[in-house]
Amino acid sequence: MARFIAQRAAWAIPVLLIVTFLTFWAVRSATDPVQSYLRANTRATPEMVEEYKEKHGLNGAIPEQYFTWLGNFLTLEWGNSIKGNRPVWPDLKAAIVNSLILGITASFVGITIGLGIGILSALRQYSKFDTAATGASFVGISMPPFVSAVLLQVFFAVMITGWLNLDKPFLPVAGIYPPGQTTFDLGLRMKHMILPVTVVAIQIIAVYSRYMRASLLDVKESDYMRTARAKGISERRVIMHHALRNAMIPVVTVAAIDFGAIVGGLIITERIFEFHGTGDYLITALGNGDFPQIMPLMFIIVSSVIIFNLLADVAYAWLDPRIRLG
Amino acid sequence: MKTMSNRPRWLLLLFVFALVVAACAGDTESTTTTGAPDEATTTAASGETTTTEPAVESAMTITVDINPDAVWSDGTPITAADFACTWTASLNTPGSIRTAGYDQILSVAAGASDKQVVIEFATTYAPYRDLFYYVIPQHVVTDPTCMDISGDFLDAYPVSGRTWQLTEWSLDQAILEPNAAYWGDDTPVATRIVQVPRQDDGGIASLGAGEVDFIFPQAFAGITDALAADNIQFVPGYGTNYEGLYFQQGADRGGPFSDPVFREAFSKSIDRELILANIYDPIFPGSELLQCGLWVPTLGPWCDNTQFVDSYDPEGAVALLEGEGWTLNGDGFWASADGTVPEIKWMINTPNPRREATQALMIPEFAEAGFNVVADNGDADQVFQQRLPAGDYDLAMYINTASPDPTVTSVMSCTQVPSAENNNQGQNSVFWCNEAASDLMQQSDIEVDIDARADLIHQIGQALVDDHVMVPLFQFPNVAAWRTDRIEGDAPGADASNYRAFNNSSQVWVPLGDDTEIIIGAEQWPECLNPVTECANSSWMFWTTEAAVFPAIWDTTADGSYVLTSLVTSEPTVVINE
Repeated sequence: MARFIAQRAAWAIPVLLIVTFLTFWAVRSATDPVQSYLRANTRATPEMVEEYKEKHGLNGAIPEQYFTWLGNFLTLEWGNSIKGNRPVWPDLKAAIVNSLILGITASFVGITIGLGIGILSALRQYSKFDTAATGASFVGISMPPFVSAVLLQVFFAVMITGWLNLDKPFLPVAGIYPPGQTTFDLGLRMKHMILPVTVVAIQIIAVYSRYMRASLLDVKESDYMRTARAKGISERRVIMHHALRNAMIPVVTVAAIDFGAIVGGLIITERIFEFHGTGDYLITALGNGDFPQIMPLMFIIVSSVIIFNLLADVAYAWLDPRIRLG
Repeated sequence: MKTMSNRPRWLLLLFVFALVVAACAGDTESTTTTGAPDEATTTAASGETTTTEPAVESAMTITVDINPDAVWSDGTPITAADFACTWTASLNTPGSIRTAGYDQILSVAAGASDKQVVIEFATTYAPYRDLFYYVIPQHVVTDPTCMDISGDFLDAYPVSGRTWQLTEWSLDQAILEPNAAYWGDDTPVATRIVQVPRQDDGGIASLGAGEVDFIFPQAFAGITDALAADNIQFVPGYGTNYEGLYFQQGADRGGPFSDPVFREAFSKSIDRELILANIYDPIFPGSELLQCGLWVPTLGPWCDNTQFVDSYDPEGAVALLEGEGWTLNGDGFWASADGTVPEIKWMINTPNPRREATQALMIPEFAEAGFNVVADNGDADQVFQQRLPAGDYDLAMYINTASPDPTVTSVMSCTQVPSAENNNQGQNSVFWCNEAASDLMQQSDIEVDIDARADLIHQIGQALVDDHVMVPLFQFPNVAAWRTDRIEGDAPGADASNYRAFNNSSQVWVPLGDDTEIIIGAEQWPECLNPVTECANSSWMFWTTEAAVFPAIWDTTADGSYVLTSLVTSEPTVVINE
């Protein structure tokens, strides 16, 4: 197993280099940091422009610029944003934290509930529960987050507050904390996450319930399952010990990719709920052509996806020993 | 079957990486032209603080007497040095967006004492009241010469010279608390003002839920229904914003409107009454079209509100085009004599329901009139900070803001057309150049007699009509909405015409009940707090944060008049030097 992990990890390094280089090339092609700098600094002298280019390694061929940028990135010299002239890392760190909190919470809630629904649906195929769950999952998959977000805001924050004649919103409309909150408060923080987590979890539940149902149905009637039943093993043990393990393999693959993408943020949800995460951060940075903000985040996103794919491979191997021997 | 071992595969991947890198090695460095100003143009007005006699003769002298009690919140007196710093920083900070007017100043120096400021101008500068509406504390900036303050005020205002002090700012909220050192009579009633970003529907939902007390939403059809509630009051007021259609007409840009005949014909084909009936009237019933360009009738005598009355003339448009050899092709579009069918790219910022509805309404109408118009939209940043300044559009629809001072030289004169001469930084984003009109603009900038100046402005307005530069649509009402169970007082409504609703927030916005703070949902949020760079290119930012913290000589009111603030003891004296 250790050798397997080491092999997979070794592969990740050149993949990371290639993908980040291509990402750098794409971002440099799509944005021109010098133009962005000039838009934000209309009175910059030619000397200042050259100084900016020199400082940020914008001279030379693309590979040279990439390695200059990579060197600065790895030594944590990320510079300032172009438009706001503010250090990149503090805002990016805050955005990553917000996105991770939102994404991990929503994923945990969504996957847990989704898998449970999927398992029950598979075990009770064509039952009323299965039919209802199937219909609900189609609605969940079809409903865009900007629709569910606004509906939830209006219902839980506005309508219920009015019906109950409350002084404060029943559930917050937006933000990470109530306006004016200046200290950490776990309860308030969690309360402000209820609606955005629900919006994200709706789609996750819908998707994972379908994955799990299909995967478990596929496994449930396999030959080895029939053999296990024939040997007198209880149905519960057959399902929990044999079926689930194999049914989880494709689900783990999808979950790993989804977890890896969490750090990329949830653009729509973050915007509607003013939950300033990496999705909101990236859209704003792209709109500003702010290369110093864009590229570190892209590197982190790429790294995250690669790492979680690596973890998926490891989980794959643990679930199916045949894989680690292949 | 024997498969390739891992080591050769690893090496193969590295080899591929090396090939890709080598393939890219031929790419040249960024070839972007710098567009930086030449040294000669930047030294025209260096803005350095000086007490020596100016080399150029002064045409106008303004003397300002600072209130002896005026101090920053840390106790440091507000003096002439702060005014000099403001001038220098506005003119020289690389990212400054506020140079207009400051480039006409020869010197800013202390007079009889450091509480008296003497400002010498190179020309008779009529819109002088638009200057020094934010005075920068010289003692807190990093560069004591104030030549570059771009690294200051990024996420904090260390001191305040006005009613409020900014005690916290982040991308999530801003908190203002009373400035204990403020010397004026207009001390706040509320103990705290909290601002949080709440865009579009989120702002209205927040107000309805009681999460915020006040919002200033963009008006849209159905807003009256959206804000209908027993505990919400909202007031529309005709403000200084006006929406219009603008034609990018740069002669060397190859757009369809560089042809004056085609441009005139298209302009005459715009049925503004149809837009009013379908887009604006549902928002505010009984609305009327704006009939002057670049000014508004509620702000001074500058708007001749009859100039665009006859702009819609579809028969005239047809006659004009046919007279120049244009014909309608098989698709029903106008084709020039050589068979070219111009495509008109119409740019708006999205999401914006009102403008999107206008496109949906008018594109078929334009097609009916023979014009091939296509939507070519982008988000606000792309539209206003990239494409508009670059002239990357043919037709644009957006809101402009009329200033209490009618000068339009900085946005409409020939010298402001983006070109190599101004390093493509000119602000004339319609690329209109009329030398006679530019001369009128220069004359109006130095004419202090109001009637004479109004006449010059009206002539400029007529030039806009004759050259088909733009088509005004609507003097846009602003909407201020607040919770009547949270805020008391008439001021939010009285000043709802624009962001000046916040001018009196210190005194007349009275929190009700046990709540002693006021919470505002902000429709915009800046990237940073610097008062001279691109971060300050936000009306919201200025009126709700800057104006609450930075002292100014004058405040402007909703009807366009100027009122003195407590920063000064009397109206500054203005001497025209013969």
